[in-house]
Amino acid sequence: MTSSANTPDSTVWPSIRFRRWLDRRMPPASAITLDRKKIFILPTKEGILFSFLIVFMVLAGINYQNSLIFVLAFLLASLFMVSILHTYRNLSGLTIMASSTLPAFAGEDAEFTLVLSRLGARTFEALLLGWNPELLQGADLLEEEEVKVKLFVETRIRGVMNPGRMLIQTYYPVGLFRAWSWLDLDMQTIVYPRPVPAGAIPFAQASSNDGELIQREGVDDFYGLRDYQQGDPLKHVAWKSYARTSELLTKQFAAFADRRVWLEWDFFPGMDREARLSRLCYWVLKFDAGNDEYGLRLPGIELAPGRGHEHREEMLKTLALFEIEQGS
Amino acid sequence: MTGFQVPRNSLAWMLVAQMAVIVPHFSRLPYLTIALCFFCVLWRVMVYQGRWSYPGKWIKVLFIFFGTVGLGFGYGTFLGLDPWVGLLIMMFVLKLLEMHHKRDGYVVILLGYFVAVTQFLYEQGIPSTLYIFVCVIMITAALIGLNQTRSHLRPVQTFKKATVLLVQSLPLMIVLFVLFPRISPLWTVPMQSSVARTGVTDTMTPGNIALLTQSDELAFRATFAGEVPPLSKLYWRGLVLSRFDGESWTQELPALYGRIYRPDQPPTSWQDKMELLGEEVRYSILLEPTSQNWLFSLTMPEGTNKEGIGLVRDFRFYSFREIRSKLRYELTSHLNYRIDRDLHDFWRYRYTLLPEEGNPRAKRLAESIWERSPNKRDYIRNILRRFNLEEFVYTLKPPVLGDHSVDEFLLDSKRGFCEHYAGSFVFLMRAVGIPARVVVGYQGGEYNRIGNYVEVRQFDAHAWTEVWQEGQGWVRVDPTSAVAPERIESGLEFAVKDEDTFLSNLPLSWMKYRQTLWLTEIRLQLSALGYYWDRWVVGYTPSVQMSLLARYFGDLDRKWLGMVMLSGFFSLLGVVAIFVLGKRSHALLRPIDREYLRFCQLMARQGLPRSVGEGPLDFAARVAQARPDLAPAMKQVTDTYIRLNYAEDQPEKTKSLRKAIRVYRFRNLVTEA
Repeated sequence: MTSSANTPDSTVWPSIRFRRWLDRRMPPASAITLDRKKIFILPTKEGILFSFLIVFMVLAGINYQNSLIFVLAFLLASLFMVSILHTYRNLSGLTIMASSTLPAFAGEDAEFTLVLSRLGARTFEALLLGWNPELLQGADLLEEEEVKVKLFVETRIRGVMNPGRMLIQTYYPVGLFRAWSWLDLDMQTIVYPRPVPAGAIPFAQASSNDGELIQREGVDDFYGLRDYQQGDPLKHVAWKSYARTSELLTKQFAAFADRRVWLEWDFFPGMDREARLSRLCYWVLKFDAGNDEYGLRLPGIELAPGRGHEHREEMLKTLALFEIEQGS
Repeated sequence: MTGFQVPRNSLAWMLVAQMAVIVPHFSRLPYLTIALCFFCVLWRVMVYQGRWSYPGKWIKVLFIFFGTVGLGFGYGTFLGLDPWVGLLIMMFVLKLLEMHHKRDGYVVILLGYFVAVTQFLYEQGIPSTLYIFVCVIMITAALIGLNQTRSHLRPVQTFKKATVLLVQSLPLMIVLFVLFPRISPLWTVPMQSSVARTGVTDTMTPGNIALLTQSDELAFRATFAGEVPPLSKLYWRGLVLSRFDGESWTQELPALYGRIYRPDQPPTSWQDKMELLGEEVRYSILLEPTSQNWLFSLTMPEGTNKEGIGLVRDFRFYSFREIRSKLRYELTSHLNYRIDRDLHDFWRYRYTLLPEEGNPRAKRLAESIWERSPNKRDYIRNILRRFNLEEFVYTLKPPVLGDHSVDEFLLDSKRGFCEHYAGSFVFLMRAVGIPARVVVGYQGGEYNRIGNYVEVRQFDAHAWTEVWQEGQGWVRVDPTSAVAPERIESGLEFAVKDEDTFLSNLPLSWMKYRQTLWLTEIRLQLSALGYYWDRWVVGYTPSVQMSLLARYFGDLDRKWLGMVMLSGFFSLLGVVAIFVLGKRSHALLRPIDREYLRFCQLMARQGLPRSVGEGPLDFAARVAQARPDLAPAMKQVTDTYIRLNYAEDQPEKTKSLRKAIRVYRFRNLVTEA
């Protein structure tokens, strides 16, 4: 369950059979230069309306026996045809490269950065690209040789996300034709589980010989503040802080034998896999904001406690990829 | 999606194009509609600036109501072309206030193209065609703006792009224009209502031809197959006026003339009354619209076989349809002829009829001259001599005459224009029983050697007479030639030179500067251009197309023509595609290489092309050997190129190289000179 569930399922997207044909014709690559084989072009609704206008003008020319009406009608007909060339030209020769991606939590938008670049004098204008046909991102390549475009794709479930074929299209210059292509830039990113608040921190189990973590409510040893959650005893609310900042925080008290926390799969008995991962994810983020070292134990996986950005990424990645076969 | 904002670039061009397209219609539109146009544009600008919001539904209904009422009152009817064009323009401006979606922008633009096309129903000259072309570029710029990203704010750039697109479309348009199979109208359409036009009318009252000659508008152009006859012989006969009511001359009652001869019908009873003698003159006339039915021809014309044209009993041509657009017809005339050698008593009576009352002194004058003249011929001669010798003056400013206009002119004022002379001459003829009639039309013209045609303008309008003589039939007598022979020899301008009244109310008319040679040259060129335009573009009708294409392709049917058109169109589209999509290799070159290659082209023009793979130093050595005179410049350019390219590695700095090349070009120019 890697990618397909993550691609938008809008009707403008190619059907499966067509997608297979596309895969043969334009195999995924991290840099693609658009050419004759990759560009599709068809008139838009406005183009069809325009051709009706021309037919109407020709009829007027015939009925009024007016040569100059013919002149204008034929000029517009020629414009219609010439605009095919110009619309095609506005994609042809453009190079699209995959640049970088940023991971996201499921339900948020993942960021994909592309680089559009041109060679030579040809300029590109009013390009529209993206995975969501409702929210295509515009880009121009006029004076600049290359331009970075950040695209956002909505994510739904954790795992490796391959957004699939991206749409790049243009109506420029006259909107009578639409030239487009579906590109697979072979980009992917990791989608972390959606963090779900997990109530009070579960009591950690003593983990190893390094020390014992004990946390008991009511112990006077104040160790920090956390966001208020429903169910927290009112006497633990930090009212002074609330008066100052109007943020509801709960005082936490604990007694630590050792300031290393293990986040355990077993904290959440009776929950299914995704629910557990979501809650663990939440705690990873919590602990990352605090001062303690934290480790993770999943069935078959154990990550030693640590701290810092890289540690956090590793934890999140482990959660994201847990029990997902790579590369399917 | 009410939040849609038309890109600023597009909106600007939309508003400009809209005004440009509507302005030529202003003279025909009711004031209320014009006010509505301005108001809508103003409102749209206010919406753009965020000061006003789009009008509500009721305000729009109110607009439509007032617009429609305005059109209804302005035109008095909703039938006909003008109100429909007005309605179209109203839709076009109102749509501006309803641009909630991108698609509405497209609707405005398509309506704009359509309003632009309606202008051609009224005017088809070169200037208005160029104007509409510019309008179409602006509308296309608005269309492009609609498809640009919001950040694009360079309207001039957009206009250039539109120009490029349309200029590339021009050759394709020409192929379609020439080859698209033309067909006759499929159904009848409302035509524009008649417009008052200047030109010869079917009533001649003293003063109205003089008024007509104040205009320098074109009447028609005539192209002769052979040599052009002398201008003094060009009497373009238009109408025969034979009824006199004491003040003005009008046409004979049509009922008395009997049937009009048409080529597709058997000959009429009166056709043998026409004897054509002498050499034939073949010519064609391209007549400007007159909103009348009569046509002009040199005396005496053979029949024509053009559809819709007939010959009337008094031997002139008649179009069965009012002439609302330019009409081209071909004619053969014989300058020697004899018509109506026998005149029926009825016609003898009609052509000597004068009102019982009025002009008694002129009648007495006629009788006294008649008594002194031995025969009819002497009588005519005596009257012409009287015009010539007595103090008659040919003037564009004759005094106003009273009830007995002939009396007053002949015996008191003695100042008049051609219609005074023609009218009173026929009066004097009829007074003694000689059948006579007035003919109006044009006399002379100006020969344009560039276009090889004779151009006849309104100030060439003229009136003369025909007198019936025993054994000879109708003979043309032009009394004006007795008073002012220079009118016939050299035209009106010379005839009224002394009084300086030629086109006196048109101080800027081209025609007043016929003495300035270079101006005349330009005028003739422009006129010839206009003639070719009218002949080959405006006048490119189905029959012209068929005869033109038959010349090159033999007999073609429409299907074949369609195939030829499509293959021509698509091969030309291929050429345009190469032009549009072709790799511009020089664009990929570094600037310095581009300059150097340009220089090599200059050398190639001197007969020294650089061969493929020849290095700059080798090339320079070869040039120096072949042309020692070019050696210093060659060395300068080559050294600069090599220095910039290899030694300094600054291929972007082309300034010194360009300068070296400029020095070479200058020297070359000097030596060539």
